[in-house]
Amino acid sequence: MNAASALSLVIVALAILLAVEAVRVARRWHVGRPASVDWWAGLAAIPKRYLVDVHHVVARDPYAARMHALAAGGLLAGSALAVLGLVPPLAGSRWLWALAAIAFLVALAGGGMVGRRRYPTRPARLSGGAFQRLPLLLVGYFGGALLVALDAVLDLTGPLGWLGLVVASLGGFGLVRLLADGPMRHAFAGALHLAAHPRPGRFEGERATALIPADLDAPRLGVAVPADFAWNRLLGFDACIQCGRCEVACPAFAAGQPLNPKRLIQDLAGSFKDAPPAYRGSDYPQARPVAGVSGPERPIVGAGALIHPDTIWSCTTCRACVEECPMMIEHVDAIVDLRRFQTMELAAVPAGAIAPLSESRYAEEPGGRALAARTDFAAGLPLPLIAEKGSCDVLLWLGSGAYELRHGRTLRALVELLRRAGIDYAVLGPEERDCGDLARRLGDEATFADLARANIATLGRYRFNRILTADPHALHVLRNEYPAFGGHYEVVHHSALLDELAADGRLALAAAPDGRLTYHDPCYLGRYNGETDAPRRLLDRLGLERVEMERHGKRSMCCGGGGGAPVSDIAGERRIPDIRMAQARATGAKTVAVACPQCAAMLEGVTGDVAEVRDLAELVLAAVEAAVPQGAPR
Amino acid sequence: MIPNAEALLKPLTIKGLTIRNRVMSTSHAPGYGKDGKPQERYQLYHAEKAKGGIGLTMFGGSSSVALDSPATPWAQISVADDSVIPYFQQFAERVHAHGAKLMIQLTHMGRRTKWDTEHWLPTISASARREPASRTIPRAMDKNDISRVVRAFAQAARRCKEGGLDGCEVSAAHGHLIDQFWSPSVNHRDDEYGGSLENRMRFGREVLEAMREATGGDYVIGIRMSGDEMLADGLSQQDCLEIAATYAKDGLVDFVNVIGGQARDEMSHAVSLPNMSFPVAPFLFLPSAIKREVEVPVFHAQRVTDLATGARAVAEGHVDMVAMTRAHIADPHLMRKLIEGRDDDIRQCVGAGYCIDRIYVGGDALCIQNAATGREATMPHVIAKADKARKVVVVGAGPGGLEAARVAAERGHSVVLFEKDDKPGGQINIAARATWREALSGIPRWLAAQVQKKGVDIRLGTEATDALILAEQPDVVILATGGLAHTGFVKGAERAVTTWDVLAGRVEPSGSVLLYDEIGGHNAASTAEVLARKGCLVEMATHDLQIGQEVGTTNKPIHLRELYKAGVILSPNMELIEIYPEGNRLVAALRNTMTDAEEERVVDHVVVDYGTLPVEGLFQSLRAGSVNDGETDLDALVAGRPQRWTGANGYALYRIGDAWTGRNIHAAIYDALRLCKDL
Repeated sequence: MNAASALSLVIVALAILLAVEAVRVARRWHVGRPASVDWWAGLAAIPKRYLVDVHHVVARDPYAARMHALAAGGLLAGSALAVLGLVPPLAGSRWLWALAAIAFLVALAGGGMVGRRRYPTRPARLSGGAFQRLPLLLVGYFGGALLVALDAVLDLTGPLGWLGLVVASLGGFGLVRLLADGPMRHAFAGALHLAAHPRPGRFEGERATALIPADLDAPRLGVAVPADFAWNRLLGFDACIQCGRCEVACPAFAAGQPLNPKRLIQDLAGSFKDAPPAYRGSDYPQARPVAGVSGPERPIVGAGALIHPDTIWSCTTCRACVEECPMMIEHVDAIVDLRRFQTMELAAVPAGAIAPLSESRYAEEPGGRALAARTDFAAGLPLPLIAEKGSCDVLLWLGSGAYELRHGRTLRALVELLRRAGIDYAVLGPEERDCGDLARRLGDEATFADLARANIATLGRYRFNRILTADPHALHVLRNEYPAFGGHYEVVHHSALLDELAADGRLALAAAPDGRLTYHDPCYLGRYNGETDAPRRLLDRLGLERVEMERHGKRSMCCGGGGGAPVSDIAGERRIPDIRMAQARATGAKTVAVACPQCAAMLEGVTGDVAEVRDLAELVLAAVEAAVPQGAPR
Repeated sequence: MIPNAEALLKPLTIKGLTIRNRVMSTSHAPGYGKDGKPQERYQLYHAEKAKGGIGLTMFGGSSSVALDSPATPWAQISVADDSVIPYFQQFAERVHAHGAKLMIQLTHMGRRTKWDTEHWLPTISASARREPASRTIPRAMDKNDISRVVRAFAQAARRCKEGGLDGCEVSAAHGHLIDQFWSPSVNHRDDEYGGSLENRMRFGREVLEAMREATGGDYVIGIRMSGDEMLADGLSQQDCLEIAATYAKDGLVDFVNVIGGQARDEMSHAVSLPNMSFPVAPFLFLPSAIKREVEVPVFHAQRVTDLATGARAVAEGHVDMVAMTRAHIADPHLMRKLIEGRDDDIRQCVGAGYCIDRIYVGGDALCIQNAATGREATMPHVIAKADKARKVVVVGAGPGGLEAARVAAERGHSVVLFEKDDKPGGQINIAARATWREALSGIPRWLAAQVQKKGVDIRLGTEATDALILAEQPDVVILATGGLAHTGFVKGAERAVTTWDVLAGRVEPSGSVLLYDEIGGHNAASTAEVLARKGCLVEMATHDLQIGQEVGTTNKPIHLRELYKAGVILSPNMELIEIYPEGNRLVAALRNTMTDAEEERVVDHVVVDYGTLPVEGLFQSLRAGSVNDGETDLDALVAGRPQRWTGANGYALYRIGDAWTGRNIHAAIYDALRLCKDL
């Protein structure tokens, strides 16, 4: 027996060991609730999902993409070729081992890249511990295997091949040991996660961002203990590679609130294990002390449990973490599931959320304001009620921003634009209840469901072609979340409608006032609905200098206003809107264009050196007014 | 953003009439009426408020319903015949075009008017009791008078409805005929219209019933009334509550518009129109009390100068609509600015009372700080951009210079503003040092903030010189260098100090002071008050008929009250003829202007106010180099047309405000606006 054939046998042994470990890992997911998974389709789709969808995310960091392609590709190819050496006709084939040598050389380059980004200084977003040992094991396995392969090709005499075998075996064994609770788990769990993903629509070109309705007849609402999660959610947590991309993207983390999506997923991955490995990444900022106990039937959230409540209430549901995750993990779903139990079973919501939730339930409006007062902003403007008209082309959904002076200005501009464009529009007026966005994000699925059904019943009484709204949160709920309750509507955001009206000449625009402008994408429009082009097209029609912030489009940063975060009001070291406004100012823009009442409110709350906050509708109206000669009838 | 703004922005529906927000302007008499009709000037003045977002604007304070309540005294409106209806229609159209509602006040003034005006008819009232303010002794009304006036009110109400007005109120405040019947201080009748409160309310009841009948019952008719006459033999707060509750309960009125006090004499008139010496909203408790007793909406005006106070009044439920009448004179675009989130840009009323004081001497209402108000036909409230950007240098950051810089910057010009003092404000900084006149500082505060916001290059602490000005290569130079106080021309004038020296703290007199005033404005009166409060024994002399002769009717009583309280000796009809030393003291020689008798005062200090003389140095030195030889085209200035000189081959040079000739704040600001709006 030579070193090469010995390596082949070692790899087979390692594969067997790997399979044993994999079964051990998979058995742990069994504590989760059942989930319906289309296995055949899912498994068949793995290559496409990996090569297209995952790669699309990974490639945003070209270094990491190259690193992974070399290391993973080389590992699989080299190991497979080495095992082929056991097939009699190929045994001792120089060509085979030459190919294996090339594969291990490639892998070694990848392993080197893994090491280079971690040494001498490990970036803050990457975890330490076993992750820091990973490059040594990779280099050991690849380098040792390379020596063995070279030995087989060149027929070297001496102990070099055997030395290589020893090193490769140690490295390989070390890597297999990292499968169950170490960095290598991502390979196995990640691949299965692609097959059994709880939102397969994500791989079919859908945004798939609607929350999944909770079963309100279930004996327990929401997730209290790990066993309440569906098994493929637990699988998703195990897929995490701790790359920290979510941590970098998270606005709450940036603001020093006690949320770190990476740590959260690690806590959830540890939650269903009795003795999870220690976490060696950056902590929750201002981490609250918790007991840190885990187990499939132990509560997850609570000071006496694993995750402090402030962590789950810090989330703005902006989905930046989900957007950045190369492992396709659904952080927001997990947070909302945890919130659902806290809210509906324990009524343990942050103090500031109590009133908005009870008002949503009893007054059908989170501010407790009279529904009829929603149209107060428009006094003096023509705002026909659909109840009086019976039908209309465009039903304007006003949203809760209509009660606020700031958004009232946006809506006044929008109504004026509709009037000038000759649109047949109407509003529900006192029949418009809150869409339920706030209640749903805060975990009060029961109130959301009631509001959704009531609104759907109201909308069912009238004829209209489409719903228009200037509130992306309402847009998301009406367009994506009401279908599960039987409400199917064509919903259009005002940026898209105004762009349409400008395109077909129904709104004549003149050049807007000079000055540099930047556009802040609302999370619920950009990330949740993929609409990043229409607002930009519209702004470009105004003929002003538009510049982009570094974070824009689907990778934009949240203003801090979503997910009930403003009412939960978990203190941080900084404020999210301050960070975002500083990013806007850094572009040199005098104006930051917004397209969401939450964004307008949050960004306008920033003091000091600020850009002026203008909604798209206000900017368009100014351009339309500039296009009308002075003194001409309007 | 102000707190409770949403309370102001909530529509109010009265009998099917929806008013878009809770801010209004009450009926008043700006003196714009022409031939008894609200014509273009009057209409544009209110249309501007409608454009500016107001919910309801009421015009025609004290519009008369009958010939023996003449419209002449305040250039007011006569609703006594149908010829006014087309004007109402045009007026309503103008205001409705901007989404606001329009109402009028109807009244019979009773004894509170003059008989020697257009119709030479006797004045009438409940009883023959003289009104101190008008100095009129009326005839007690008989039954024929009563039924005639009741019919006149009804006919007037019909004319309002036919004229397309959204409603009307009857005035039963400030001592008009209806409240003359109510008030035991006037009504001494022994028939069914006098005696018990129920009897005294009868005339008003008949008026309102007749108006309802004439307008069909669905027309909005309200009443303006006092919440407490604050008069020993007048209506108590309890009486007023009962009147409001009864009329409202009986469906006679659709709203109650409440004031505090009455206006039977100089002092009560000044109290009912509180100036800057009063806190804001001093009588808010009166409508608040009435609101608890009535089901109809309650309105209130009286020194609600800022939106935050107005919003609080509505949010806390004291009133349903808050009237900000003078606040709209200062800035008719108040509500629009609130709605647009530009509430920092609101030019806030400082309570100078300049607007109302002018009408009581037969003038037209003008704002001390907003020269466009009441001049909407020629002066813009929103300054349009110029076609060509120019370089404008303004010298002096008093009110005139600040306004010039503001308007020029709004025109899009590049503006440099020199001020040798280390803060803007000019003479207002001196005037505002005098006790309750402090609020004047709001005028330059707003102007300076606007000027800064519009990007004017403000050079404080920099005395402009020819070289500095010319280095800017200006197209236009505007000198707003103001004037300087002087000690006059009498013999020994050099021994006197000026009111400026006192207020600015350059001298600190003690002992006895003779303060001699040859201007009759606020300056000397407020300086006398300052001196007396510092412990001086002050005699204030003037050759005018009375102290503060030029001060208007809402301010003069306050000055006099303070001077009396401080023990200042008031000596009108005395002219200062000489000052000479005696030992370490001074002798001031005075001449009685009526008798020529001369008197002497031995005092420690003589303080004088002879006004200001222009600071002219720069004008003289820049004049020769200017394209217009420093000349202003007066025809163009008055007509609101552009000046002839474009500054194409050099700079045009103009003077404004006290640098031209010492006048007042409004004159300086108007000079600036009318010159710069066309630059």
